[in-house]
Amino acid sequence: MVAAHAAGPGERIYREGILPSGQPVQAERGPSMHITAATAACVNCHRRSGLGMQEGRTTIPPVAGIYLFHPRAGTVDDLDLPFVEGMRADRDPYTEATLARAIREGIGADGRRLSYLMPQYTLDEQQMAGLIAYLKELSPGAVPGVTPAMLHFAAIFTPDADPVTRQGVLDVLEKFFADKNHYVRADSPRLRSSRRMKFKVNRPWQLHIWDLHGPPETWEAQLRARLSAEPVFAVISGVGGANWAPVHRFCEAQSLPCLFPNVDLPVVAENDFDNLYFSKGVLLEAQLLARELKEHRDARVRRVVQVFRAADVGKAAAGKLADALSGEGLTIIDRSLPQAGGARDLAGALRGLNAQDALVLWLRPGDLAALGTLPHELSSVLMSGRMGGLERAPLPAAWRGITRIAYPFDLPELRRVRVDYPLGWFSIRKIPVVAQQAQTDTWLACGILSDAINHMADTFVRDYLVERVEEMLEHRIVTGYYPRLALAPGQRFASKGGYLVRFADPAGPKVLAVSEWMTP
Amino acid sequence: MRVGRSVTSGLSALFLLAAAEGTLADGASGMSRQELPPNAPQARQVTAATAQYAVPAVTLVRDDGKAVSLPEEMNDGRTVVLNFVFTSCGSTCPLMSQVLAQFQRKLGPAIHKVHLMSISIDPEEDTPARLAEYARKFASGSDWQYYTGTLEASIAAQRAFDVYRGDKMSHAPVTLMRLAPGQPWRRIDGILTPDDLLSEYLQLLVAK
Repeated sequence: MVAAHAAGPGERIYREGILPSGQPVQAERGPSMHITAATAACVNCHRRSGLGMQEGRTTIPPVAGIYLFHPRAGTVDDLDLPFVEGMRADRDPYTEATLARAIREGIGADGRRLSYLMPQYTLDEQQMAGLIAYLKELSPGAVPGVTPAMLHFAAIFTPDADPVTRQGVLDVLEKFFADKNHYVRADSPRLRSSRRMKFKVNRPWQLHIWDLHGPPETWEAQLRARLSAEPVFAVISGVGGANWAPVHRFCEAQSLPCLFPNVDLPVVAENDFDNLYFSKGVLLEAQLLARELKEHRDARVRRVVQVFRAADVGKAAAGKLADALSGEGLTIIDRSLPQAGGARDLAGALRGLNAQDALVLWLRPGDLAALGTLPHELSSVLMSGRMGGLERAPLPAAWRGITRIAYPFDLPELRRVRVDYPLGWFSIRKIPVVAQQAQTDTWLACGILSDAINHMADTFVRDYLVERVEEMLEHRIVTGYYPRLALAPGQRFASKGGYLVRFADPAGPKVLAVSEWMTP
Repeated sequence: MRVGRSVTSGLSALFLLAAAEGTLADGASGMSRQELPPNAPQARQVTAATAQYAVPAVTLVRDDGKAVSLPEEMNDGRTVVLNFVFTSCGSTCPLMSQVLAQFQRKLGPAIHKVHLMSISIDPEEDTPARLAEYARKFASGSDWQYYTGTLEASIAAQRAFDVYRGDKMSHAPVTLMRLAPGQPWRRIDGILTPDDLLSEYLQLLVAK
């Protein structure tokens, strides 16, 4: 993924550890502890926001300009700066000269040594000037989508998003925002608290619904126009179809956080920053199925026959499965069905299958229900749980015994208590449950956003929102389908595994795991 | 003064190295004391203690892809130096791994008496391939291996060595060393230097 702007010299040093010449940055952390390039990049500790972070008992301070150059103050409360852990008041301001000394020699504004963690950099005058100029740019200032009176968020829906899912997700979003605002007292003053307590700010939230239309090539332009007309702080949830890439690219280019959209097919770019996903969706399922085929396939199987509708996500998933199986000596056959086709195409795709075939179904419920009789000699069937409807998949009885289902969520009986939270809330708020998995994901995403915003108090910086979500996600209870969520720099997919399951009975939603939780 | 590779491995070589770099261990705490400039450098919070830990009988997956038993990996007779890392860690782990890399370098041929082990605390993300890639950044030699596996196995290992803090972002820098199977462990909390680690090793050798 390419950034919309060319990085300035300071930004390249800060984020990548590369000098304007293209050479790697050099630094030392004590004798013989030399580091270079990406390992030496400031971003590793001070983060993209420049606001630092906490890791265990270590607090990395902010280095955005305002935290370095502010006048000395008695306490943090006396500084009219957005609160971040690690900010210091009782220190003389840096000057450009003393800041350069800190970066080169590890001596602070007060003449004392900086932490052992802070490397000592080899930078010439021009490189140092570029870096310091960049640090000044990092200072939190006016942010789009944030006013004293309101926080603005957008939810993006592509035209090929499933309409039932879209409505279900929208219901959840609108009710969540309404709930949030219900508890905000109008005209509440900005509260300041005593030392060590964060500033608390009550601000209502406004939801902007951005429905895209037309072909994908036009979406980025539509989104730019929307953002320009309706500035938002971040994008939350939403629903995509077969092609989320234009939305992903837009958010990266605008440095706009995009938190947990409901997409079966996300964009996999682990070193991107702004787009966070719950899972890799059908791509994860392809990896689960590949593992199953590699380790447990029937000895007779020589071919893998994949069936999918041309314009749906199954095509990409099939490609991923084919890649994952390269080197296994299996013949991979893709049988692509026309998007608007019906049961006849499907029947055609199931001809000529026998015991040497492993059939892989990347199909939606409508097609599963139309599967008809099980081909006589076929003994090996795999399918996408996510596309098919999980334990509600209308897989015909005859198919249930032999079909193994990729299930990239916690098992129903294991997640029941945690999912009761959102289901209870849906019931109280009278939200029809039409797409339970997507709607619980949406409620979970809103909760995560809410927690992160609460922790940010009045430090509204977009990059900082992403960083807070990364830091807090792992120790937050997962009130949803996933057994565990975790993110980190370089990790954009919070849930990384799944099960293989099969139906327990010829009818009904009971499923049994046929594998352990796998993280392929 | 640096000790060249022409000096054969053994206690004498290591003592010379440590003496030359002026960091021979303080007896009581096992910590090195470097000469400090007058303007009071910030102390690194490093503490060392002796402890007993029971190695859990869990299966881990090594960075070469092989499923292995943790006790067997630890009990082949070699000295064990153990730490816990995750590949997405931006600050602490690259530094701690670099300390181990420098320790590996300083030991020279004597490294073959030591088994360096790094266990992932983010096993769902840290596949063997990711660990192998991380290992390359620190020029990990054949005596240094990385481990992943199921979340349960990783947590069991973390709990056994009292390093589990609930989530990876809460982890603290810890290095553990055991001279030989059956011996107690040295637990070093904090960001230690390669010389600190070397001093600890020498101390254990001398006490043997």
